[in-house]
Amino acid sequence: MTTRRQLLQGAALVGAAPLLPRPAYAAGTGNIFVSLEKGNEVVVLDRTYAQIKRIATSKRPRDMHFNQDRTQLFVACGDDDAIDIIDVNTLEVVDSVVTGPSPEVFAFSPDYKTIWVSNEEYSQLEAIDLESRVSIAQIPTGAEPEGVIVSEDGKTVYVTSEVADMVHVVDVASGAVIKNILVGTRPRRFIFTPDGKQLWVSCELSSEIFIIDRATNEIVGDSLFFVPPGFKPEDVTPVGMAVTRDGSKILLSLGRANHVAVIDGTTHEVIKYILVGRRAWSVDLSPDESVAIVSNGLSDDITVIDMASLEPTQTIPVGRVPHTVMIDG
Amino acid sequence: MARLAPWLMGAALSLLPVAAIAQDAPRDVRIGYLSLDYDARYDEKLVYLGLVLDPLTPPVPGARMGVEDLKILADAAGFSATLDEQKAADVAGLVARVQEMAAAGERFIIVDLPADVLDQVAAATRDLKVTLLNTTAHEDFLRERCYPNLLHTAASDRQLADALVQLLRVRNWTNVLVLFGQNPRDKVLADVFTASAQRLRLNVVDTRQVTQSTDSESMEQNNTLLVTGGVDYDVIYIADTQGDYARYLPYATQLPRPVIGSTGLEAAEWNWTWERDGASQVISRFDRLTGDLHMDGPDWAAWVAAKSVMTAYGKSRKTDPDEIDAWMRGARFGVDGSKGVLMSFRPWDGQMRMPITLSTADAVIEAAPLDGFEHQVTTLDTLGTDQPEFVCK
Repeated sequence: MTTRRQLLQGAALVGAAPLLPRPAYAAGTGNIFVSLEKGNEVVVLDRTYAQIKRIATSKRPRDMHFNQDRTQLFVACGDDDAIDIIDVNTLEVVDSVVTGPSPEVFAFSPDYKTIWVSNEEYSQLEAIDLESRVSIAQIPTGAEPEGVIVSEDGKTVYVTSEVADMVHVVDVASGAVIKNILVGTRPRRFIFTPDGKQLWVSCELSSEIFIIDRATNEIVGDSLFFVPPGFKPEDVTPVGMAVTRDGSKILLSLGRANHVAVIDGTTHEVIKYILVGRRAWSVDLSPDESVAIVSNGLSDDITVIDMASLEPTQTIPVGRVPHTVMIDG
Repeated sequence: MARLAPWLMGAALSLLPVAAIAQDAPRDVRIGYLSLDYDARYDEKLVYLGLVLDPLTPPVPGARMGVEDLKILADAAGFSATLDEQKAADVAGLVARVQEMAAAGERFIIVDLPADVLDQVAAATRDLKVTLLNTTAHEDFLRERCYPNLLHTAASDRQLADALVQLLRVRNWTNVLVLFGQNPRDKVLADVFTASAQRLRLNVVDTRQVTQSTDSESMEQNNTLLVTGGVDYDVIYIADTQGDYARYLPYATQLPRPVIGSTGLEAAEWNWTWERDGASQVISRFDRLTGDLHMDGPDWAAWVAAKSVMTAYGKSRKTDPDEIDAWMRGARFGVDGSKGVLMSFRPWDGQMRMPITLSTADAVIEAAPLDGFEHQVTTLDTLGTDQPEFVCK
């Protein structure tokens, strides 16, 4: 039986053959994009994890998201106050959206016409109309806003304030914060559970996950702790999360604990702790959910996790301080 | 930056906090801040020919920033905080200020005072229902006094020495030449360092006093080649609080060796070049507030002291000030000082547990506790005096 590793090695050899033509890509290239916070570039790997290109971006690229038809990849560049736009086909920066100061994390509205972005050093959440490029709303937040997520109906935006230890609930119609939810220390990122009922928030410094009931915007239940064997709770700094489409598994990167926790979406128990690189940060699932990739901020590499076996299959050096991974399935 | 669409202006600028534990009208919380009218520590460090070395500055902007940073937490928890900044000329005046602040309901007072002055003020006010937070005095004896009304966000001499010694241990730079200057404080620092070094089985090859005089009769002390010669070592530790001997030491030594202590590699609560754990945002906010990018240890200590008090009022779910104080000293308390871990106060000596930065002029080389130093409870307790060995004096 051919192992996955042998298949990958075979594919790498094939891919390296110089006479094979590169297909014309639109969506679903299989390429993997990694933003390098200190390298000021986005590195592109193909589905065999061979490096295809290093795309120079504006300074301090961090969060990334594809547009609706996955022809473009948007990259928030914190030190240049811009969101660069990369053409997924040509692998070049083709445009740039001017933002407020130090954009960190962003999310599209459901119709992809608006970008909601946290301005980390300016204590605000801003909304930018993509067509006109005008900043149409600037909402004050607690200091160091980070995670941003938009509800499926586009009516509510959630943003964290790392310093105030809060989740701000923003009503889009009125442009105002309608509720502040006090969570753990240094809240970072969000996911929605696919059933639409829960919002999960990772709290980096108090090592816990808070679960918020979306109907009431109240915290539900006790916060969750995931501590790999041999670690103390204070060693665990959870940040990035990803959830399978059926909600059965949630992936949680544990920061300084150098592991990814795979959590059962129903019982909230840990299924497995997977050892990855140093300071596990963002984690992304491929569109077909066969692999997950986590960025390791302090070992300058990414780790590929096979979702069938929940094993780490390889770790690939990428460059200086990888932040976000986006897999174009 | 693009302009705000006018029809959204009013709505967007209004923040409507709806708190989990809100009061109807915000409670007034006053936090004291106390320092001396004239504090010799903030004299410009004028050295030969009027050259001014990088001076220490009063850290009150750090405290203001701490209150400001957590204003939104205060809004959500239903209180409004003000920093009541007061000064006095001497111990008697300071004690009177503390009594006034206590009478005005200020349960917590952040203090920026030299150790001998703070010692007297804490002693004179120990029976008041007030907690003083020490931001600038590192002396170990203050912790050993075990004043019930004193907590410390300034690192202790021993925490700072332990941090340097951990680095030497990990690097296996085990032979150390210890130098100390003419100021009595220099000898104290050298002794603390030596005790830390011996605890981790480093070898202090010699301890020598230095002086700046060029008098040929004190050549053994003032001639740097002589002072650093005649013996072999891996590293030189220098305690020179005036700073004017230490800054000339690197590269002037008999042997090619790194210098640590008052120059070269320095241990502190904070360094302005710390890049991780949200530090750049903190430093950038400090710069916007003060026009000074060089946020240093005392600034950090004042910031964390204010944040600790704000966090206690905001998160303890208590309204009685004594209960808030107990919560702040308790196991459930944790404050984020942008050093990557939640920090709390040690119950046995009131010292805040914290990572210590080890830095050169322009980079943080390491942050202690270093990898490999283990502890049953928290690795932060490998720095400073741990509970089993601590004795109140």
